[in-house]
Amino acid sequence: MDILLDDQEVQIKEAASEFLAGECSSALVRKIETDALQYSPALWTKFAENGWLQLCLSEKNGGEALPLTYLGLLFELVGYHIAPIPLHSTMVPAMVIDRHGSPEQQQLLQGMLASELILSHAVAEKNGRWTTDSIALDGRIEGNELVLHGVKSFVGSYRASQLCLVVYREAQAPHALGAVLVPTDAKGLSSEALVSMAKDGESNLKFDHVRVPLSARVGQPGQGNAIALEVMDLSAVLYASMMAGAGQRTLDMAVAHAKQREAFGQPIGAFQAIQHLCANMVNAIDGTTMLSREALWRIDQKLAYRVNVAQAKSFGNEQCMMVVRSAQQIHGGMGFIRDFDLNLWYRRVASWSLRGGTAAEHRRTIAAALLDQPGKVRIGAIPQQ
Amino acid sequence: MNFLFNAEEEQLRATVREFLLEHFTEDVRAENMAGKRGEGWGPLIRKFFDTVNEKRWFAWSWPTEFGGGGGNRTAQFVIEEEFYRYTGITLGGGTGAPAILSFGTAAQKQEFVPGAIKRDIIFCQGYSEPGCGTDLAGIRCRAKRMGDKYIITGQKIYTTNAQNATHIFLMCRTDPDSVRHRGLSILLVPMGMPGMTVRPLWTVQNDPPAPFGTTYGEERTNEVFFDDVEVPASCLLGEEGGGWEVARRGLNLDRVGAWRYLISVMRDEDIVNWLHGDGELQDSLRDDAQVRDKVAEMWTEAEVCRLMTMRSISIEQNGGKFTYEGSAEKVFAPEHSVRTTEAISQILGPYAQLMQGSPDAIEKGVFAHNILGAYQSTINHGSVQVMRDQVARVGLGLPRAAK
Repeated sequence: MDILLDDQEVQIKEAASEFLAGECSSALVRKIETDALQYSPALWTKFAENGWLQLCLSEKNGGEALPLTYLGLLFELVGYHIAPIPLHSTMVPAMVIDRHGSPEQQQLLQGMLASELILSHAVAEKNGRWTTDSIALDGRIEGNELVLHGVKSFVGSYRASQLCLVVYREAQAPHALGAVLVPTDAKGLSSEALVSMAKDGESNLKFDHVRVPLSARVGQPGQGNAIALEVMDLSAVLYASMMAGAGQRTLDMAVAHAKQREAFGQPIGAFQAIQHLCANMVNAIDGTTMLSREALWRIDQKLAYRVNVAQAKSFGNEQCMMVVRSAQQIHGGMGFIRDFDLNLWYRRVASWSLRGGTAAEHRRTIAAALLDQPGKVRIGAIPQQ
Repeated sequence: MNFLFNAEEEQLRATVREFLLEHFTEDVRAENMAGKRGEGWGPLIRKFFDTVNEKRWFAWSWPTEFGGGGGNRTAQFVIEEEFYRYTGITLGGGTGAPAILSFGTAAQKQEFVPGAIKRDIIFCQGYSEPGCGTDLAGIRCRAKRMGDKYIITGQKIYTTNAQNATHIFLMCRTDPDSVRHRGLSILLVPMGMPGMTVRPLWTVQNDPPAPFGTTYGEERTNEVFFDDVEVPASCLLGEEGGGWEVARRGLNLDRVGAWRYLISVMRDEDIVNWLHGDGELQDSLRDDAQVRDKVAEMWTEAEVCRLMTMRSISIEQNGGKFTYEGSAEKVFAPEHSVRTTEAISQILGPYAQLMQGSPDAIEKGVFAHNILGAYQSTINHGSVQVMRDQVARVGLGLPRAAK
């Protein structure tokens, strides 16, 4: 047991941090928010060229096979710098393909590493709930094809992507879920852009009898439910990593401001009311960071992890929102002026805290593990699936 | 990054647990309780302590030359956790010994550390005074140097375990003209010296007596009076006037570790395990969406307490130094303990007020006693307000307020 970063983790974190600090300015973030696809192709290409996409892919797919905790560090930094790239939308399906995809599907990852392919993933539907029960998109097998009919909602970076990993319900076996790769230019598939606080390109999708070959399904028969959950859990925990990073940036901004801004004859950072707010922010960020790192570590180690993911996202949703709101409080009026940068982080954390499962939804998972199965519980070692 | 204890450490955990199940019988437990109350240590608990000491479990990570186990800090944490969970006994040679290992002379190390590990020497902490608690810079207890002696005059308060201690780890002012934390020194003073008086202060959560596991279950704390108490100058630990540094080291160690973590999270386990039960009340609460949400929320906070503890142990294991982490943990864990205790009471409703011995008390009234005990941990060993000051100033570099 040693939960601190080791030398190699520190090294990679510093390198990625230096890269993003050099390439991702708030001016870029602002500019990209007004672009049609709401991501920066130039930054995405450079990001890929620098090898950041392949850290945790397996060697056979050109990756470095590093533990998933490295991906977590990367997402923390992408949150810290709010880099306008489709990393979250892409890496979730990429990791699922790397682990469960057919050889042909794994071949696609080469295109991703060459920044020729952007992926997205679609889970939630019209009711907005982050539960497997709410997945209703109809997937009917007809001959060698799967016919998809229904809707998907809140799909991140969809319009930037060429291929979307779509979670559906099997028409012929309604208790079974599946995951299938759908080209975004497939016939019968249409989308509408949403205007979210994050301004990072979310869309709603409509499937009007969209036909894809059965070979586009990811995973072996019978694996669909597990893969659906894996998509959901990776998506959720990586949002938590990004929120922790973004929260850290707003704390840094708030502390810098509090040291320099004077009121009543001294820097406002000398007042305990401000100091204590900052101390609360530290614990909120550290808590989210440690919970999300532990969840990713457990996924990597093939240990049960659903409760850990739920803990990271539910805690992160509420606590990181408190962090960015407190940063606003410390900045006073300037924080809510559009030209001042703080709102770029505030808006994203607000959006991220609402995607990939709300606090209440994730706590249902935790409560079920705690209360609906026999056996004594112990902190750090509860029975889970 | 590695979030699991290794196989060797898990094996050690199992060995310790097995040992405790076999040797810490109800009779031993009763003698331990009586001993803690100041009624003397019976033969069974003494024999138990001797056996534990032979295994070197009291101070697994301490140097072998002083009676420690020479093992690593992580393994010591594992032992500490099992001991506290099952027996309520805290390990590690008490508060004084770590500071003596860091600042003591060779003679002091030999005199105190092996004894502290074996529990022949027990320290109580002489920091707080009626006029100063968390701000120790206000200390007035005076030790006047007279040749090779100190003459001590003053009063200490909230001196927990003074009734059992063999020595007091006394912070006092050796330079009468000094202000704030300059001119403070630490003296290792034997209890029972002529001129010393110990008077009990009875705590609120023990009337009726609190059940095992209550947060801050200490039945009594004390006042200690010094009326021209004469001690040899060799009692001085570290340099005269260097007491602030010496104490800081000891206090940081008090704020983290197995005991601090467990007193903050054990009610989270208790409420879930109780809700597993068959009763009508459990059945209705277990299916209540709001109860489930609150229990899951508090559980998650408890997991953060665990991770903060693992962070501290990782830092210690790597030989690193705390910047803000100890103080931050001393904010989050005690406040969690209060939040969850109060949340549980709102779940249990009127049953949560029933204390040990009352008809209908749930789990011997531990949740009720905890309402009277949990908030003490946000006060003792440095209030959470001052801990936040530390996080802000040491961790974030925010300035001190102007005078």
